[in-house]
Amino acid sequence: MTKNEEKPEEAELMLFPEDVPNWIKEGLEREEDVIAIMDTELYKGRFAETSLVLTNKRVMVYRKGDILEDISLTRIEEASIRTYLNICILVIKTGGVFKGIAAFNRNRFKSLEKLVTIINNLVIGKISYELLKSSVTKESRLSEKRIFRRLFGLLRPTLPLIIVSLVLSMVLRIFDLTPPYLIKILVDEVLTPRAHIEKLYWILAALLALFIGQILLNVAKGYINTKLNLLISRIMRSAIFKKLQRTSLFYHDKFGSGGLFTRIFDDARQIQDFIANSLQSVAINAGAVVFVGAILVSLSLKLTIISILPLFITFIMAIFYSMRAPLYYFRVWRKWSNLVSTVSDALNAVLLLKSYRKEREYEEKFMKEHIGFEESQIASFKIEQTFWPPVWLVFLGCNLSIWFLGGLDVLNGVLSLGSLIAFTTYMWEFYGPIFGLIESFASFQRVKVSIERVFELLDLEEEKSGTYRAPIRGNVVFDNVWFTYDGIHYVLKNVSLDIKSGERVGIVGPSGAGKTTMAKLMLRLYEPQFGKIAVDGVDLKEYDLESLRRQVAMVMQDTPLFDISIAENITIAKPEVSPLEVMRVAKLAAAHDFIMKLPEAYDTEVGRRGAKLSGGEKARIALAAALLKDPRILILDEPTAMLDALTEDKVIEALERVTKYRTTLIIAHRLSTLKFTDRIVVLDDGRVIETGAHKELLKKGGLYAELWNSQLKGLARRQVILYER
Amino acid sequence: MNDELKAIDPKTVKVLKAGLDTVDISVNGKLYSNVIPRKPFPLSHPEVVLLCTEDGREIGVIEDYRKLDAKSRGELEKVLDVIYYIPRIKRINKIDHKEQKYVWKVEIEEGKDIEIVTWSRCVRIMPDGRIFIKDVNGHYYEVRSLSSLDLKSKILLGTMI
Repeated sequence: MTKNEEKPEEAELMLFPEDVPNWIKEGLEREEDVIAIMDTELYKGRFAETSLVLTNKRVMVYRKGDILEDISLTRIEEASIRTYLNICILVIKTGGVFKGIAAFNRNRFKSLEKLVTIINNLVIGKISYELLKSSVTKESRLSEKRIFRRLFGLLRPTLPLIIVSLVLSMVLRIFDLTPPYLIKILVDEVLTPRAHIEKLYWILAALLALFIGQILLNVAKGYINTKLNLLISRIMRSAIFKKLQRTSLFYHDKFGSGGLFTRIFDDARQIQDFIANSLQSVAINAGAVVFVGAILVSLSLKLTIISILPLFITFIMAIFYSMRAPLYYFRVWRKWSNLVSTVSDALNAVLLLKSYRKEREYEEKFMKEHIGFEESQIASFKIEQTFWPPVWLVFLGCNLSIWFLGGLDVLNGVLSLGSLIAFTTYMWEFYGPIFGLIESFASFQRVKVSIERVFELLDLEEEKSGTYRAPIRGNVVFDNVWFTYDGIHYVLKNVSLDIKSGERVGIVGPSGAGKTTMAKLMLRLYEPQFGKIAVDGVDLKEYDLESLRRQVAMVMQDTPLFDISIAENITIAKPEVSPLEVMRVAKLAAAHDFIMKLPEAYDTEVGRRGAKLSGGEKARIALAAALLKDPRILILDEPTAMLDALTEDKVIEALERVTKYRTTLIIAHRLSTLKFTDRIVVLDDGRVIETGAHKELLKKGGLYAELWNSQLKGLARRQVILYER
Repeated sequence: MNDELKAIDPKTVKVLKAGLDTVDISVNGKLYSNVIPRKPFPLSHPEVVLLCTEDGREIGVIEDYRKLDAKSRGELEKVLDVIYYIPRIKRINKIDHKEQKYVWKVEIEEGKDIEIVTWSRCVRIMPDGRIFIKDVNGHYYEVRSLSSLDLKSKILLGTMI
């Protein structure tokens, strides 16, 4: 483990430190407080202790007590991070110029990210020092919550089932442990003296009753455990699922759908397995160790001591084994991942493979990966064999010693034969629970990670809905809006825009200019960090979310449809409408004709995410669904991006019709889509740089004219190529 | 493209003659020959019928063709029964799982035993209780309702829902 891995994040970034070093204190002005201190090991490309200090007045870089950089917060316009191979640089913008002021190792990126967010909150958001301090303190308090206590709080409804299951398991364990004792009585009191025949009947009857009892209890325990497992998984999964439905899109972006799937299914299953199985085995095994240990001591103290010896030897061997084995297991996992990704690459990019004639190469790669996987399995088998055979040898030696010493005791009349037989049987019942407890400890370590991950989700903030409900007229105002997805890179920078009710506004700009983000903010899928968006003069935050989203519709360029029929997808927001109404909006969206060509027409199931339809068809269904809501504000994100020229014309005609008298925001790369708009807004690097009608902007000769001319040239070039063919 | 949807009042429609897949009709006294009746919602709303000319032009849509006069309805159904034929399952005798597909042995209302091959997700239940089973070729079969089946058929169908 390297020095950096040992260092917790808090050690890298100290927020509101109580003990500020004297060499920093000495340089502070009056009423200047330290917000953060972050150490870096780098200075001008060499390892050297350097510190970055953020106060409520400035950002400073110290080296050996000397100030290398000293920038007042009032001069800072924005903070950002530039990342390189191993290094990330803190960049500060002053007077319109970015300047790198300190270098950090990439493994400190998270801390640096936090620091940059704080600086931006201070300089862009003008958040007060007090508010910042209270929010940071609140954050650290949340992370200290006791996760296990919360887990059991969440799973309280399962408590009765856990208790019943535990009681059944304990009774079963007692049933398991009783037969050896009955056999001891049988040997000592019936078979050896060849007397008391009536005891033979009683013992056999007792054994029969025990076996029948075991069968019945096993059935009951199986039923209870199945119910318990299902209840735990339902509680966990529904809590996570419910939370995900109510949180902002921000968290969906942060964790990604794959990550969320893992938490809903894998982590919830780990927790369920731990509570329903491992936790019970801890209680049962601990009880069994005490109970069986007492029986062993009562049978023979000397033999009990001998039987404990292999446990110590195994424990020492296990320490050495655990230092080597994980490397081998990890190698197996890595080789398996390589193999899976080779197959996945080959299957997903089959067209590419064939077109580049790479099939043979991939066959060889597959074989190589498979042989690598086989070798790693063999190596891990070999390492296992350095542990398990010696362990079994130790236990065998112990077993033989017990038979030898116990046999001598029987011959010498110190121990009865029945006691010796019972001892050897109980001895294995003693080892089993001990190994079980060790395994439970390992599973406890694994599940701890899962519980933390699940509660990380359950602690997410839910979308806050206001209470304002009113029919929207459609006046939209963006007032100095700043927005960032990651806290560092601002996608929208100080955007101000006034859209009148019924106005049709086109938003254009290069990729990554922030166009789609503007649309998402209007639907309040995200909230701006600074500035505000108002509809009809009311801040979006104050709107009741349900009322707002009922009146604002958005059609995305690649709308994922639900795996239901076309009709059901169109009526998703208004399931009660008549079939004729569905057909009417489909016609408006230029979707009706292609739908009617399908054998099942509007009853066609579209497949997962609409996989059975083309991009253009999906876009038109999404448009129909949006129109059915009859929204006051319609947002269209690249509505014609997936369409051929002919269909594009039809859709543009349809759009012109349906957007009349409706506040409409159309985001488009293809400028031809915007021919019917009243005004065009040009975004570049998150800022509004031009606004006006098509002709005005062309006359201006700015970015819009540049984009327009380049599209015209592209079109002309394509026509020439077609003509020459 | 037909821009607007024209709803037709069933009272104004007369179905004069039925062919195999076309009908001759009059709407408000205007005659149309070789009209193709199509169901836009063949499973969920089979009562909605869109009337199109041979060249694909839409004459209009009847929201519920059952409101036509008896003779017209009878003529129209002659065509609809042909072009929207869906066998109705009376009894399910067996469902086997073979190579990731399911082979159903069923008896249809016409009294014939047939075999249906489906994928695992093949059952659609309509809000009115009708159940549709889609085979691997996209062919549909209908069960009037779960209660119309005997116990064994219900249990077998239950394993696929």
